[in-house]
Amino acid sequence: MSLMRDLAGGVRALFQKKLVDKELDEELSGFLEMAAEEKVKQGMSRNDALRAARLEQGSLEVTKAIVHSAGWEFLVETWWQDLRFAARMLRKNPGFTIVAILTLSLGIGATSSVFSAVDRILFRSVPYPQADQLVSFGLTAPIERSEFMLGSNYVDWRRAPGPFQSMTSMIPGVADCDLTEQNPVRLACARVELNFLPTLGVQPIAGRNFSPDEDRPNAPRSAMISYGLWRSRFGGDPGVIAKTISLDGLPATIVGVLPADFEMPTLLPTDILLPEALDEAVQRRSAPGAVLRTFARLNPGITVAQSAAALQPLFAQALQGAPPEFRSEVHLSVRSLRDRQVQDARLASWILFGAVLAVLLIACTNLANLLLARASTRQRELAVRGALGATPARLLRQRLTESLLLGIFGGAGGCLVAYAFLRVFVAIAPQGIPRLGQAGLDWRVIFFTLAISCLSGVVFGLAPALSSPSPEMLCGKEVRSTARNLLREMLVAVQIAISLSLLTGAGLLLRSLSNLQSAPLGLEAQNVLTEMISLGAYRYPAPPQQIEFFDELLARLHRVPGVTAVALSDTLPPSGAMRSTIYSAIEVTGRARPTEGTGGMVGWRAVSPDYFSALGITMLRGREFTHEDQAPSEHSIILSDLLARRLFPSGGAIGKTMRFALAGPWRTVVGIAANVKNNGIAEQAAPELYIPWKNEDNQNFRVAHVILRSPLDPRTISNWLRSETAALDPALPVAIETMPQRVGKLSQRPRFIAALLALFAAMGMLLAAVGIYGVVGFLVAQRTQEIGVRMALGATPLSILKMILGSIARWIAAGAVAGLIASWFASRLLQSLLFQISARDPRPVAAAVAVLLLVAFFSAWIPASRAMRVDPMVALRYE
Amino acid sequence: MTEKSGDLVQGTLDMLILKTVALEPMHGYGISVRIEQMSRGIFKVNAGSLFVAFQRLQRAGLIRSEWKATENNRRAKYYALTNQGRKRLSNETREWGRQVAAIARILEAS
Repeated sequence: MSLMRDLAGGVRALFQKKLVDKELDEELSGFLEMAAEEKVKQGMSRNDALRAARLEQGSLEVTKAIVHSAGWEFLVETWWQDLRFAARMLRKNPGFTIVAILTLSLGIGATSSVFSAVDRILFRSVPYPQADQLVSFGLTAPIERSEFMLGSNYVDWRRAPGPFQSMTSMIPGVADCDLTEQNPVRLACARVELNFLPTLGVQPIAGRNFSPDEDRPNAPRSAMISYGLWRSRFGGDPGVIAKTISLDGLPATIVGVLPADFEMPTLLPTDILLPEALDEAVQRRSAPGAVLRTFARLNPGITVAQSAAALQPLFAQALQGAPPEFRSEVHLSVRSLRDRQVQDARLASWILFGAVLAVLLIACTNLANLLLARASTRQRELAVRGALGATPARLLRQRLTESLLLGIFGGAGGCLVAYAFLRVFVAIAPQGIPRLGQAGLDWRVIFFTLAISCLSGVVFGLAPALSSPSPEMLCGKEVRSTARNLLREMLVAVQIAISLSLLTGAGLLLRSLSNLQSAPLGLEAQNVLTEMISLGAYRYPAPPQQIEFFDELLARLHRVPGVTAVALSDTLPPSGAMRSTIYSAIEVTGRARPTEGTGGMVGWRAVSPDYFSALGITMLRGREFTHEDQAPSEHSIILSDLLARRLFPSGGAIGKTMRFALAGPWRTVVGIAANVKNNGIAEQAAPELYIPWKNEDNQNFRVAHVILRSPLDPRTISNWLRSETAALDPALPVAIETMPQRVGKLSQRPRFIAALLALFAAMGMLLAAVGIYGVVGFLVAQRTQEIGVRMALGATPLSILKMILGSIARWIAAGAVAGLIASWFASRLLQSLLFQISARDPRPVAAAVAVLLLVAFFSAWIPASRAMRVDPMVALRYE
Repeated sequence: MTEKSGDLVQGTLDMLILKTVALEPMHGYGISVRIEQMSRGIFKVNAGSLFVAFQRLQRAGLIRSEWKATENNRRAKYYALTNQGRKRLSNETREWGRQVAAIARILEAS
């Protein structure tokens, strides 16, 4: 009640200022009049009485001011005054204002956007309840670095989950599956165990999880559909439960709908979950059994390390049954689900995060420098205001208001910059950085960075103001504070040091990127077009239909004019995706298999005739496959140079017979092909073998790549390719890319990181340059008089320039030395991202130092050259 | 606000003003004279503190004001006690009595 009245009174005082003033005026003068009258009654003259009353009561104006400043509205009023004054001051120094706001915007914007992006990767929890209990566990081997388990072991392990509340499994990856109804669509299906969702802690939003009866071999098929599919295909109809759909031509009953935010722990986009239907008896009998992805929820209070220790006995037991060559290479691994998901995005995220913090630091020091410079030029103004009666608190508040105003403008600019940056990140980011697509601007982050910048502004802006202005300031003499100059120069050194490490890092990554892009692939990517075709299981259930389709397609493509070569293969280099076997499984006629270790992996592909000429892979010896090799009776094989040298160190591989799968046919080596990068461009080529593309047992031709070499415009060819494919099956989804595009994708991530780091390095350098410019400019302005005296006494302009540059050069040099040390540590972190360049390589550091010194020199030289042109007469009269 | 009014502390001045206007509505000068008279010249309240206190009490709803003519036919703002003010005054008077008695006891005890 009284608060309301207080508020109302204050508001009235604010908005009806004149009226309230008039009332107070009248009341006070009445008061004095009455006091005077009293004195007149006691015998004073009227004038004396008025004077005496005034003496007794103090000046009318002072009293008014006292009454006026007693209410809360006074604070509002003066704050408004401060704000207007601050805005005026900012407008009066556009140079300072623009640089300060720009600095703040860049710092806040870059930090917020990067943090918003990496926050989801590094810090946000995965979207399951008590996600910190969720782990990915199982075996790892050189073949497979993500945890997996073999069915025969898993069925034993899950009987006694040990450190886990529950463990669950799924078939690795997702498989294409077709919704074969009207408007058929290609979907991604995953097969998961009964307790998959309960272990993750996910509840269907409609319907239910699978029942034990449904997760059995040969059970009637049931399916859970994703939220997205539910909305897009079934219009979000709750009646979809118990509805039967046709999946790959077979009926399946929808039992549940997954929540909107559901994601697979493997992060693969998935439309439909099917029961895994693992047959325990089969798994045991056919040991090692199926490969499974296994996840678990830890018992409360158990750490990841403890659970790994608890699993050791089971692991040792499982190893007993493994082939001896595997034992030394297989390890037990348990890691949190988040670790599994972010894997290699982690290091990159930390690096970006570090880089952007460095930029923020430079921005803050810049702002601090600017404010320090301004503070010292405003000493006299403050002294005057102090002398006129402003209290120190009021002066402090004034400065605070200015800093905050800058902060607000900078924050607003920062939001814009952050928004733009984030859009750029998401646009240029490579595939496979988890959750980047979902990254949105995080208001907490913007607020945090804004707070940091404001704080740095306040701290550095206020530090000089805290010492109340000395009266000497009033007499017009600059009182020089060397301590403050020292602080500013040290800040410059810090900026130089940080910029140097950023530049070095960016240089290393750019150099590595260019190495990567010029690395020889072993094939000629130019003029090659590729088309990936994935046949639906419904229309093409078995290899004969699949082979028939591809034969037909190949025949059509051969007729296209302007095509130099056409070939098929099941997988394509240089990405790492290919089928593989272990080296020790390769048997050469008349030689015992090696028994020690697996010997690593050997990749293999099924390729059609002309594969090597289509891709431009050199045949070192022997010949390519021909149509004769596709005859059922022929079993030929081509080795890569690497594999041939390893299998046949003394040469003479051609004509030898060998087999690479225990049950497989014996094959005759007909050729040796040059090595091709087949494991990503950054890795060494792995040993590789090729078999002819033909219908053999254990072969699957659902997914294949068409390789087409033609000197014509790829756009023309790709239209041809598309129409020829559509002529055979119009509903078939195809992905056409040129080979250079495919190769380019592999260096996308390094390019992304290098581009961002280069951007930040450039930003950091720009900010540092502005900082140096400011400091030197201020130095020159401050010493104008001194320079005038020196010149009057005979100093040449050149010696003045030397003096000014020399004073800052020491600090730049100190910064560079500190920066060298910092770079040494920073480049260490980058080592694992580098390709064919050592983190110790002196060239990037040398280049960074050179660039930075050049930039520093120029940004110091511009204001310093102003000192050269100082007219001694003007300078002496200065002040 | 650095005004010193005798040795009056803020709360006490409020109480004295409330007490003064409790008898009858009165204008600013009248209140200052009355306080001086009642305290036999010990408390001299100057206009600054007085009017700040008026503003404060008025906003707290303890007194209300009204422009009226004085006996000398001058326009002046008269302050009167509200019901809330009356309650506050009796509370504070009681509290003051208790405190004074307590302090007196402590001082006499030695």
